[in-house]
Amino acid sequence: MPATREPEADLSVLPKADGSARYSYAGYTVTGSVNGPIEAQRRDEHAYEAHVDVIVRPAAGVGGTRERHLETTLQSSLTQLILVKNFPRSLIQIVLQVESAPENDYVNTKLVQASLNFAIIPALLQTAVLALLSAAVPMRATATSAIVAVVSQDGASELVADPSPREVEAAQSVHVLAFTSQDELLLAESEGDFTVKEWDDVYDTAKRICCQSGATKGESIEMVLDEKGDNGPDMRQFLRSTLETKVVADLYWK
Amino acid sequence: MPLDTSAYSLALLRVDGRRWNELRRIHAQIRTQAAADGSSYLEMGHTKVMCVVTGPSEPGPRRGTAGGGGGGGGGAGGAAEVAVSVVVAGFSSVDRKRRGRGDKRTLELQSTISNALGSSLHTHLYPHSTISISLHVLSQDGSLLAALINAATLACVDAGIPMTDYVVACTAGSTSTYAANDENADPLLDLNNQEEQELPGLTVATLGESDRVAVLVCESRVQVSRLEGMLVVGVDGCKQIREILDKVVRDKGRQMIQEGTVEKGMGLEDMDLD
Amino acid sequence: MPREAEPSLNERQFVLQALTENLRLDGREFDKYRPLELTFGDEYGVADVTLGKTRVLAKTSAEVTVPYVDRPLDGIFTIATELSPMTSPAFELNRPTETEVLLSRLIEKTVRRSGAMDTESLCLVAGQKCWSVRVDVHVLSHDGNLTDAACFAVVAALRHFRKPDTSMEGGVLTVYTPAEREPVPLSWLHSPFCVTWSFYGEEGEIALLDASWSEEQIRVGSCTISLNRHGEICQIAKLGGTPVEAVALLQCTNVALTKVKEFSTFLDKKLAEDAKRRDKGGLMAELSAENDR
Repeated sequence: MPATREPEADLSVLPKADGSARYSYAGYTVTGSVNGPIEAQRRDEHAYEAHVDVIVRPAAGVGGTRERHLETTLQSSLTQLILVKNFPRSLIQIVLQVESAPENDYVNTKLVQASLNFAIIPALLQTAVLALLSAAVPMRATATSAIVAVVSQDGASELVADPSPREVEAAQSVHVLAFTSQDELLLAESEGDFTVKEWDDVYDTAKRICCQSGATKGESIEMVLDEKGDNGPDMRQFLRSTLETKVVADLYWK
Repeated sequence: MPLDTSAYSLALLRVDGRRWNELRRIHAQIRTQAAADGSSYLEMGHTKVMCVVTGPSEPGPRRGTAGGGGGGGGGAGGAAEVAVSVVVAGFSSVDRKRRGRGDKRTLELQSTISNALGSSLHTHLYPHSTISISLHVLSQDGSLLAALINAATLACVDAGIPMTDYVVACTAGSTSTYAANDENADPLLDLNNQEEQELPGLTVATLGESDRVAVLVCESRVQVSRLEGMLVVGVDGCKQIREILDKVVRDKGRQMIQEGTVEKGMGLEDMDLD
Repeated sequence: MPREAEPSLNERQFVLQALTENLRLDGREFDKYRPLELTFGDEYGVADVTLGKTRVLAKTSAEVTVPYVDRPLDGIFTIATELSPMTSPAFELNRPTETEVLLSRLIEKTVRRSGAMDTESLCLVAGQKCWSVRVDVHVLSHDGNLTDAACFAVVAALRHFRKPDTSMEGGVLTVYTPAEREPVPLSWLHSPFCVTWSFYGEEGEIALLDASWSEEQIRVGSCTISLNRHGEICQIAKLGGTPVEAVALLQCTNVALTKVKEFSTFLDKKLAEDAKRRDKGGLMAELSAENDR
């Protein structure tokens, strides 16, 4: 079954959690739940702000160093977004459960790998943001993110947005960038060999993907794949429309 | 070999010379440790278990997760908590095997015994308290859960904790495996280690002499039709065990009165007759 | 970690009173399950089970590893159930609660110890290489009756799973990737399912199937019976709680058998539907990495 190229999201899918979301795009499906602000353990308490605890659970196996790395990355990004100063001595608990990830059919994967897994960060971040919105945790801004790989083809390097696992393996470098809704750079992680010029190109591409407003194009979510270097789906508009749908559904009886 | 049905059907005798409905030798003592609130020592064949009860007493430091997450919370403050700890000695079985404390099987045993006794002990009389039951297994030869429950009951009786009735347990098995839909399969009472490993069996605990089942654990594959026979035999075995345990308690009481440790009739006025 | 909100006295009395008048809060009959839904993932071995609001996801994976020293001819089969704070903030990672331990033991006894899967078929090279099949159970939402849902998910995931094909040629073991050869299903012997009864009342005289979360908080005893559709009991676990008449337990077992047969037919139907759905095109059509549109 081909991976969906359209992002899909459902909000408030878990009845018991304060907020939850299920997001799928490019073969990744992640369910996230948010509980908070709730009471924090003594050891996690901060005197003036809330503690943001992120737990990433992989689809198969128990989490290892790879998941810890993802958790730390996401924690620092989300702490910037959430208004933590409003809730001193509290805990905001975010659990992200990976349900499916695209697999490289040409390789027999091993279960526990210590290497990095950048490709999943955009999906995780998006799910976390949606779940936080669903939980109505006060945030300073929302965020969108994109992953770009620099692949060398015929001697020239080419930027590929949303690379497949095979492309990630073959790429020279892989970059994950996240921007807030105020067009600020929130997260930038890179892996591989690249020049500063390449990074600048990557930055521009990612910014275009994350920050384009829906007004420039007639159709906002529709995929336009007729040129190389396409812009991909409009993530911000997607976030907006998901929330709009939910609010309309909630206020149905009004 | 008990599974060697040819030998069984010849003389209808099991490997240790018992018939299908005979219990092993049960030997029990209470008040084995004077320092403890209640103590007991129980042997069911070669399965030997020691039990010590402390309580009802001050609850220990409350662990937040104990009772949290659904299930066992019920009236955490309103009734005493029955905390069970089972330690299986490394020398108890044929091969030396050290069991860690967090072993899931041990945790399951502890939870079962706690819930079984919790349903019979009058815990509502002691809110905000803990009854601690410590069990030590010295030798294993089948029917472990049954022996643990019986020992814990005796120790609670010795500790003087009010209860509805004895919670007695024993095992029952069937000579037919799941494959053979044997109509003539006999249910067996009180399995030893060899029989437990080879034949399907279950452990059943009843409340005294009634037919009410407090615990029923079956971990082997068996045909549904065999279940009724095993259950009936098990419940009947429990009734026999109850008589034996009751006799042990009464004999000890009589002995204590004769020795002058206790005055006859003492405590009757203090008893809270519900 | 924060405790779960316990039902108030009013709620308890209301539910119990309703039960004595033969009414359940959601209007079901005493022996009726909530609507059961099963979806398989895009990849093999992923089963998503929804039982009312309880949602459990099971994922199977396999890798080649060294067998245990004392069992050189058997493969390794593990089932991991870890409850995360997603289920409820009361659960902490790496701190197994009683619920988690009992759930894990029940599923292990039902699926592993009853020999539902043939572990000998997982052996590749005796004493050196074998398959290690692992099922991870993720509880996404807990609204009562985790045991039945989780067991169903595990069985469904295992029956759905395909492990990579292998071949032995002259002492050299080749493991084919999914692109080279179609993966093969596991060697499955029988399908056990769990049925959990909850008891209420002074003497445990009222018995319910498939308790929701609020009903679970109020029950005085429970019994989980695992059977397969051939009428073989894989395990029974009534771990304490209010004593119940032995006759009632036998009746519960008989009703459980009917339910298990229903589950079995339902699972077979879903697997057949899924097989039909995948049949259009083979693996080559699924490689979206190549086909951009």
